[in-house]
Amino acid sequence: CNEAKSEGRAELIPSIKLRHCCLLRNQRCVTAYLYDRLLRIRALRWEYGSVLPPNIRFHMCAEELQWFGQYKKSLASFMRSLGGEEGLDITQDMKPPKSLYIEVRCLKDHGEFEIDDGTVILLKKNSQHFLPRWKCEQLIRQGVLEHVVS
Amino acid sequence: MFISDIRKEFYEVVANQRVALLVSSDIDALCACKILQALFHCDQVQYTLVPVTGWQDLGTAFLEHKEQFRYFVLINCGANVDLLEMLQPDDDSIFFICDTHRPVDVVNVYNDTQIKLLIKQDDDLGKTLLRREILFDYEQYEYHGTSAAMMFFELAWVLTKDTKDMLWWAIIGLTDQWVHDKITHMKYVTDIATMQRHVSRHNHRNEDEENSLSIDCMRISFEYDLRLTLYQHWTLYESICNSCYTSCSFKLWTLNGQKKLQEFLADMGLPLKQVRQKFNSMDMTIKENLRDVIEEASNKYGMKDIRIQTFGVHFGFKNRFLASDMVHATAALLESTEKDESDSDNFIKALDSLSRSNLDRLHSGIELAKKKLIAIQQTVASCICTNLILSQGPFLYCYLMEGTPDVKLFSKPMALTLLCKYLLKAFVHSTRNKRCKLLPLIMAAPKDVEKGTVIVVGITPESETSDKKNFFGRAFEKASESTSSRTLHDNFDTSIIELKTEDRSKFLDALITLLS
Repeated sequence: CNEAKSEGRAELIPSIKLRHCCLLRNQRCVTAYLYDRLLRIRALRWEYGSVLPPNIRFHMCAEELQWFGQYKKSLASFMRSLGGEEGLDITQDMKPPKSLYIEVRCLKDHGEFEIDDGTVILLKKNSQHFLPRWKCEQLIRQGVLEHVVS
Repeated sequence: MFISDIRKEFYEVVANQRVALLVSSDIDALCACKILQALFHCDQVQYTLVPVTGWQDLGTAFLEHKEQFRYFVLINCGANVDLLEMLQPDDDSIFFICDTHRPVDVVNVYNDTQIKLLIKQDDDLGKTLLRREILFDYEQYEYHGTSAAMMFFELAWVLTKDTKDMLWWAIIGLTDQWVHDKITHMKYVTDIATMQRHVSRHNHRNEDEENSLSIDCMRISFEYDLRLTLYQHWTLYESICNSCYTSCSFKLWTLNGQKKLQEFLADMGLPLKQVRQKFNSMDMTIKENLRDVIEEASNKYGMKDIRIQTFGVHFGFKNRFLASDMVHATAALLESTEKDESDSDNFIKALDSLSRSNLDRLHSGIELAKKKLIAIQQTVASCICTNLILSQGPFLYCYLMEGTPDVKLFSKPMALTLLCKYLLKAFVHSTRNKRCKLLPLIMAAPKDVEKGTVIVVGITPESETSDKKNFFGRAFEKASESTSSRTLHDNFDTSIIELKTEDRSKFLDALITLLS
């Protein structure tokens, strides 16, 4: 724009300004889109846990994956800082739980599933299990198990 | 070994453990399962529930879970075979078996370490077990003992954790045994009396006028109700036409029978218009004394026991069900052939229908049950009218050909057994041959068209005083061996087998020779 002024081609200034506005607008749109993606990626941590399924990672670019890793770390150190020595996993029990144990039904064959304390459960389609709530939450979110309300 | 203290030797043992529940596909087992699940929920006992339809399923389920579980509870399967021989478990696996199948395999009785039988010892076993001659007899026949659901209800009662829901499930389990002809009338009446004591105990609170329960609470009541299947969810007319008892008494497959029915209705002063309406829409004046009116009229037409002791439940203004309604609905769901769903899908649906919160499921079950009953009556009528039941000497035989309407429904064991029972009753009412009236009946129907197999069912002769002891299990085994027929004895009821269609004739011939 300044160049145009100095070279005496003042009639170009409006076009330059117009194009510039368009570019800025496009930049705003792209930024909004990328920001929205980031918010969704952040929500993924809460929905899927710290390991994302491969089909989702496929749709993320390297920078986004890096951002996700950093967010994970941030969240983890925050959680460690709560609740004394062990920290507090605030991604559990997103809704106030009604009971410690829940009845779940297996919706598809998922094979063996190992829980933290070493117990292994065979998740076969249409089998039902009565387990501590916290062991099931992740699988419920993934759609493998369904909470059965009697 | 038999467990004498079900609380100490079973419940307290599994209370802090994880348990695998292997449940057979019959209504009594489903009810027993619901009761046990409710108790486990109460005490936070972790479990895994796997439905099993036969011995192969049981074997597979055990193999898949044996690494993860030490304690297995088997419901309505496992008592009548040498279980340890069949499953070859490790030494630390423990099996708690609550099974109505009798006789209990002797090996199971005498194993002290791994087999624990949740069975009442005086259930027709005890003393006869020890005498050798009677032992031979004992092992030849298959019959059923006390309902599994009732056993688990008793456990709940001993733990003082019994609820009305559990009581209702126990009643449904018992009624299932009666509907599917697994126990004698005497046993049914005795067990009803036991349940009645529990019902009175639970209803104690209802009588308190000041603190009476809200209409939405569950109420179970003793009913001396009509033997008209599903009549409160149907039209009275349809129910009379499609209930085995009335259909056979009137012989509704004949013109004469139809006329008698019209007379019967006219006798009671019931206009056809009313009787063909949905039961709930019938005039109140007619509904009020219906049971007494029908009982009186039935006596004149030779139906002396049109009423039967049973129980009903109601919760909310609209929801009233008799125990037999529940049995028919759940059985129809369990053996549904509507969509191509697997056995375990149906198991889950049937299990769900037993919860009061799944009324939609229950109502869909009732609709399926109506279709099934209509199909049964039509098949019975056509078999009788076309003389499809042949006397083979020692037994009657009927074969449903491919292409028979609704034949797909009868590829399932409970449905075929029900058809068999109704058919035999109808036959006994229609034949003049006195000898034929005392014969048992074997029925065969196509099971798997691709594999080329049929399902074969054998039932005991029709009799008022029948002890329901079925010898076909052994007979089928021997006939199969002697002719090298390709049979599959997968069902927990030994009187139901699968047979290659081509081997049908030689198998039958062997049976005739065997039983003559």
